[in-house]
Amino acid sequence: MNRPPKNKGWSPSVIGALAAAAILLAAGVLMAVYQEQLYSSQQIKSVREQAQILAASAAAAILFDDRRAAQEYVDALRVNPELQAAAVYGGDGRLMAGFARGSRLPPLLTVAGTGFSDGYVDIAVPASQNGARAGMVLLRAFTEPAERRYARYAGLILLVTMGALVIAVLSFAQAQLSRRAQQLASVNARLHEEMEERRKTEEALRQSHKMEAIGQLSGGIAHDFNNLIMIVKGNLRLLKRKLGAEGDAADTYISSADEALDRAARLTQRILAFSRRQPLTPQRVNLSALAQGLSQLIRHSVGERVEITMRLNGAWSTLCDINQMENVILNLAINARDAMPDGGRLMIETRDVTLTQPPPEVESQSFVPGDYASLAVIDTGTGMPEDVRQRAVDPFFTTKPQGKGTGLGLSMTFGFVRQSGGYLIIESKPGEGTAITMLMPRDPEAA
Amino acid sequence: MRLRLLAAAAALSCVAPLVPARADASLEYAVKAAYLPKFIPFITWPDSAFASPATPVTICVLGDDPFGGKLEQAAGGTKSGERAIVVRRLAEPDPSASCQLIFLGAGDPAVAQGTLDAMKGRPVVTVTDSGLKAHGVISFLIDANHVRFDIDDAAAAQGGLVISSKLLSLAHAVKQRGQP
Repeated sequence: MNRPPKNKGWSPSVIGALAAAAILLAAGVLMAVYQEQLYSSQQIKSVREQAQILAASAAAAILFDDRRAAQEYVDALRVNPELQAAAVYGGDGRLMAGFARGSRLPPLLTVAGTGFSDGYVDIAVPASQNGARAGMVLLRAFTEPAERRYARYAGLILLVTMGALVIAVLSFAQAQLSRRAQQLASVNARLHEEMEERRKTEEALRQSHKMEAIGQLSGGIAHDFNNLIMIVKGNLRLLKRKLGAEGDAADTYISSADEALDRAARLTQRILAFSRRQPLTPQRVNLSALAQGLSQLIRHSVGERVEITMRLNGAWSTLCDINQMENVILNLAINARDAMPDGGRLMIETRDVTLTQPPPEVESQSFVPGDYASLAVIDTGTGMPEDVRQRAVDPFFTTKPQGKGTGLGLSMTFGFVRQSGGYLIIESKPGEGTAITMLMPRDPEAA
Repeated sequence: MRLRLLAAAAALSCVAPLVPARADASLEYAVKAAYLPKFIPFITWPDSAFASPATPVTICVLGDDPFGGKLEQAAGGTKSGERAIVVRRLAEPDPSASCQLIFLGAGDPAVAQGTLDAMKGRPVVTVTDSGLKAHGVISFLIDANHVRFDIDDAAAAQGGLVISSKLLSLAHAVKQRGQP
């Protein structure tokens, strides 16, 4: 019951989440580095382009030393907040015009190039017109201090890491939870199975105890009753002898009583067979004759509301235990009666059949082709739904109210028929009736 | 004023920003001499104005030369594209002389006018001095003690010349193309 968890280590989903987090982190760092380089190179490129534009436009102003025009060109760049300073230098390198926000412009500039300082980058490009050198242009752009950039990236990385950790923790918890839930579900299912098994076993035990008790009780009574019948029968014989010739008048009564005693003896025999007090031996039986012999008993068993038809066309005999077969037929008749509480028709039919194909629901490997003596008990009762029909021969399966059916009738019948080498076929439709057919192998020596 | 003059003189080797009153005519012409070669990179001549791609741009000075040696000094070593810039002096108007830019001094207004008429519709930049009534493609003037220049872009267009808008933007006044 307490099965240990299969996987004591980290589940694949957690490992996946951690791997994803690591990949995310690495990608984030790479992206940050790449972005950083891209940003600075792009910024420098952009500033250089602006410087070249300024150089081209201011070339004339530089050449003709028009400081006002040069200042106008430079001032046009004031709108760009990224620029800390912009300046135009004449052909001699002297400052002509410019502006600076919070830093000093170099008074002299003659060399082009790019220079980095703390917080800004200087880009100087030459100004010329059609190959004629005019002067220089300087643009100074703000750059974000490195520590502030790295702090920003660090914050980002921290966020990503925390997010990844949260994902990892959540998926770990999720994996644990689903494992628990699975364990719980399987334990629950097993519990239900075991409960069901236990219920069935208890039911079967109770039924078998009941059968045992009934068997013992009825067997005991039948045994004693049989002895009493023998005493009465013996005494009747003695009485007949004693009366001798004078007893002719009483002979009819004595014979009648004797016949009744014989019937009573047969009844006790049947009870003994049911309680298995009597060894069962297979004998040659003609099912038609057997059914005919039982007709009176059946009539009594099923009552007046059921109309009985006998259609005994079977001529072939079979080998089986007569008492058992009688029990079976009686049982089936009683079942049929129970299926017709408001009355109906009961038909007992015997036929000779030759099988070349297995009957329905008989496995082909257990089928033996040949001649069979068939006996069918057919009623016009309530019938059975398909699921009930399929379980009809299950031991202890009954649809009768508690205490009325043992659930063993059809299963004993099935067992007996199969043991005798025959087949039991149950056909039924709800509302139309049920036909139960026994196919017993023909006794080869009976021809 | 004194200070500005000094500053101007100091910067003269390359650029001549400021200009003097009449009293100091030599400074005025030093500035004009510096300007003349500087016009050239902003002007595009039609290919027919040059004999070959290597032909230098020629600055011609007609009549009296008010610049002394300053014009040669300013033009020396200057280039416009692949072309060098050379200076020639003409005593009289000479239509055969291959000039791309002619400076017309204020000395003889009649000659100046005659030359302007002769050069009309030809790919030659005529530059008139500030004293002349007649105006060439570029005409110097003195404005608030500064040497400035007007540009007649319409006349330039007649001669197939293209003057850069950068230069136009620095001019004191521009007569636009298409205007009569």
